[in-house]
Amino acid sequence: MSEKKPAVYLCKGCGIGEAVDVDALETVAKSEFKIGRCLQHAALCSDDGLATIRNDVESGSVNRMVIAACSHRVMTDKFQFGAAPVVRAGLREQVAWSQPAKAEDTQMLAADQIRMGVTQLSRTETPAPSVVQEFSRTVMVVGGGITGLTAAREAAKAGYPVLLVEKTDRLGGWAAKWSARMPHRPPYRDVQPNDVGKLVTAVQADKQITVKTNTLITRTAGQPGAFAVTLSQGGQETTERVGAIVVATGWRPYDASKLGHLGHGSSPDVVTGIELEAMLKAGTLTRKSNGAPVERIAFVQCAGSRDPDHLPYCSSVCCGVSIKQALQVVTRSPKASAYIVYEELRTPGTAEEFYRQAQKAGVIFMKGKAGKVDGGRMTVTYQDELLGMDVPLGPLDMIVLATGMVPNSTNPDAPAVEPEKGEAQLKDDINPVAPIKVAGYLSGEGKAWPHIDKGVPPGGPILNLQYRQGPHIPILADGFSDSHYICFPYETRRSGIYTAGPVRRPMDMAESAEDAMGAVLKAIQAIEGSKMGSSLHPRVGDLSFPKIGHDKCTKCRRCTVECPFGAIDEDEQGRPVINPSRCRRCGTCMGACPVQTITFDNYNPQMVNAMIEANEIPDEFSEKPRILVLACENDAYPAIDMAGINRHQWSPFVRIIPVRCLGSVTMQWISTALQKGYDGIMLMGCKSGDDYQCHFVKGSGIAKERMSKVGETLKSLMLEKERVTMEEVSIADSHRVPEVVNKFAELIGAMDPNPMKGF
Amino acid sequence: MTVAPPDTSTKYDLDFAKWVYENIEGGDKLALCMQCGVCSGSCPIGVQMDYGPRKLFMMIRAGMKEEVMTSSTQWNCTSCYRCVVRCPRSVPVTYILQDLAAKSAELGYAQKTNENVNFARSFWWSAKTFGRTDERLVTALYYFSFGLKEGYQRGLANLKIALNFVKRGRMHIGLPHRIKGRRQLKAILAKAEEIAKREGLH
Repeated sequence: MSEKKPAVYLCKGCGIGEAVDVDALETVAKSEFKIGRCLQHAALCSDDGLATIRNDVESGSVNRMVIAACSHRVMTDKFQFGAAPVVRAGLREQVAWSQPAKAEDTQMLAADQIRMGVTQLSRTETPAPSVVQEFSRTVMVVGGGITGLTAAREAAKAGYPVLLVEKTDRLGGWAAKWSARMPHRPPYRDVQPNDVGKLVTAVQADKQITVKTNTLITRTAGQPGAFAVTLSQGGQETTERVGAIVVATGWRPYDASKLGHLGHGSSPDVVTGIELEAMLKAGTLTRKSNGAPVERIAFVQCAGSRDPDHLPYCSSVCCGVSIKQALQVVTRSPKASAYIVYEELRTPGTAEEFYRQAQKAGVIFMKGKAGKVDGGRMTVTYQDELLGMDVPLGPLDMIVLATGMVPNSTNPDAPAVEPEKGEAQLKDDINPVAPIKVAGYLSGEGKAWPHIDKGVPPGGPILNLQYRQGPHIPILADGFSDSHYICFPYETRRSGIYTAGPVRRPMDMAESAEDAMGAVLKAIQAIEGSKMGSSLHPRVGDLSFPKIGHDKCTKCRRCTVECPFGAIDEDEQGRPVINPSRCRRCGTCMGACPVQTITFDNYNPQMVNAMIEANEIPDEFSEKPRILVLACENDAYPAIDMAGINRHQWSPFVRIIPVRCLGSVTMQWISTALQKGYDGIMLMGCKSGDDYQCHFVKGSGIAKERMSKVGETLKSLMLEKERVTMEEVSIADSHRVPEVVNKFAELIGAMDPNPMKGF
Repeated sequence: MTVAPPDTSTKYDLDFAKWVYENIEGGDKLALCMQCGVCSGSCPIGVQMDYGPRKLFMMIRAGMKEEVMTSSTQWNCTSCYRCVVRCPRSVPVTYILQDLAAKSAELGYAQKTNENVNFARSFWWSAKTFGRTDERLVTALYYFSFGLKEGYQRGLANLKIALNFVKRGRMHIGLPHRIKGRRQLKAILAKAEEIAKREGLH
């Protein structure tokens, strides 16, 4: 870039002019940083204010600037002037709106905001994107069930070529085996015909969709926009280039042979829901033992579900399926009666209508836990919760065990590739602190997570990813693919690869179809993003990407292991290789790097370091302590802004620097702050754990582990370990922010000042 | 998992619920009962019943025929209709209990255990004979339905109350009062009987 021509624009609107002495701030910029162009304005966001800045940029006198006004989270569309880097120094939410006007401490805070802003500006560049080579627009859909079929159809409708890969010889998946569907259209009351055949025909007729049956995926390499997928169709291997992948591998029924305690195997007339469905489809509902018609039937819900010895979770669809089957049985014959033995009937939303319909039709619901299923006498004895006694139902013609869903996050038919490594990887992936252990700088074991051992469905990897972090798509709990159910449902920890349908959580056909549409939209986003070199969720549009200074790299591999998204591979010499379009730009690699050689154009260890050092630290006799807050931009920083918007007040001794994720915080910043003379340091980020809220999944968990080691370092420096702390703050916590900050400020105020002040 | 063997003295009839749904007036609506318990909670004389309506309905589903048919619940219902008004699933609880009482009497369950049956029979005799109740005759018929000896005993025990009634003009002496159009009442009852037969309500 040519010569740097910085400017500082100071806004006096929104109460800033009344709260601080803006002339003094201008002096800071002019005398301390020799900024030639400084301008005060009554309202920078007005047409006049913006025109002034635009004139400066267009005339060539300014090519980078600090806008000292509102938070960087607002007015982003207005304060954008071509390619000129813009840094926002917040004087509104965190100064004028949250500190007493015209106070000495408020003025000092505002001056520090200017210092940090100008320093940040001096170390930031407009990022040049990394655009993928051999770009492909094709969406690959894995799995030809209802989810996969819907995904293929929707992607094709949106104008993207589709490659649909199915393991078996035909399309339709489990859905094709069902005799009828649960209601999925208004009035949501009656059993509906199975229409999956229509969808299969539509997919086969679509010229945009290439269907490959009997096909397995043997290798997946590359990155979003340019995945190289090796397919094996009857032993014949071909390599295809695809832009994004939707994994719709669905589910497998829970192994009923493990349900001996519920009478499975004690009589041919004790069957699973899947077996009953086959009979209903064939139209011959007779007893397997003697061929007599089935007139009295009982369904045992939660067979092997919500049971710590089997599946610990609720599969959510079995209640609906049993209601459907019971309705089918009672409508077939007026003499038939159907009993459903349930613990809690789960009929969310419109399924309640279906439940009522079944009651009307005479299906009888018995609330209680099934205890003993006697296949000889054909009775189900259960503990009736509404009568408070044990009740035997019988003699019955057929007993149906409603078994749950196991996610196909692995391929049950394929041998595990490096079984030990694959399994270990899956187990470790459930545990966000596991990579720390791998990296070897954490002494002792990570916290044990109780359901790790039972959560991994056996089998080989689906995509066989050629990633440093292993061949599997990471799972979270109970074997389901990792995704944040509420905030970012389709995201996996492998960018450009989206899961949909029951591989993500148990769901029925209608939900799966809806899920597929969501995942396809994400896949399209990934394709278009990689074409521009832009990041995916949550930093959509971010063109920066991590760069590694190979001259300084020690090949310690911390970045390759800790990256939450497996974006960094290793070459033959063990050097890290970044796959930019896999990267989500969280900076966890940057925080991991012990030699600070991983940088982004507009965010790097040196930049934040300089910002920490730029602030003025009053001497130890002034009784003005300084507290550094490193706040996650995703939740904590907005919460702080909101606290300001709500006019909450907090300690004026706090200096807040936004970070992309707590995972990007390097230990060097902590030591710099302590050496500079800050009295306390607080990290504010998202919740970690299996109910994480971290937008980069593992970032805050990793930061927590790193910080747990800081205490010892502080001790060796003869400093109290309470000086460095970490707080979990969610976006809804704005009312709590002042409280948290003030409590910490009080604690620090009660301590002696940091002895390193003034060195 | 520990499930105690159910009480073997109790007979569970898997078809009983279906029989109730199809044969008791309002029984089809019973299928919609969601066991919320508003009926039992609203019942002013729930404490006088073996089981509240909610529990009775669950026992029907569990097939506990003997317990249901011999229960005092259907006999002690006073037809205040509070449960019917409040039921969120519009189950006509009162009708169901009334018809359960009728059926249990008809099928011979009720006589074994419940004296309310005897009272109901006496009441009905008076109602259809005179078109209204005559307290003296209803009471006498009811008392002597338990046998000659017990009839005398019950009568003597209540003699003082009866005399007080007479003294204060609450009970008359002489022939029973009758309604005017007894012929029409007979015709109405005959027609009702005919409809009941035709509709298969008996």
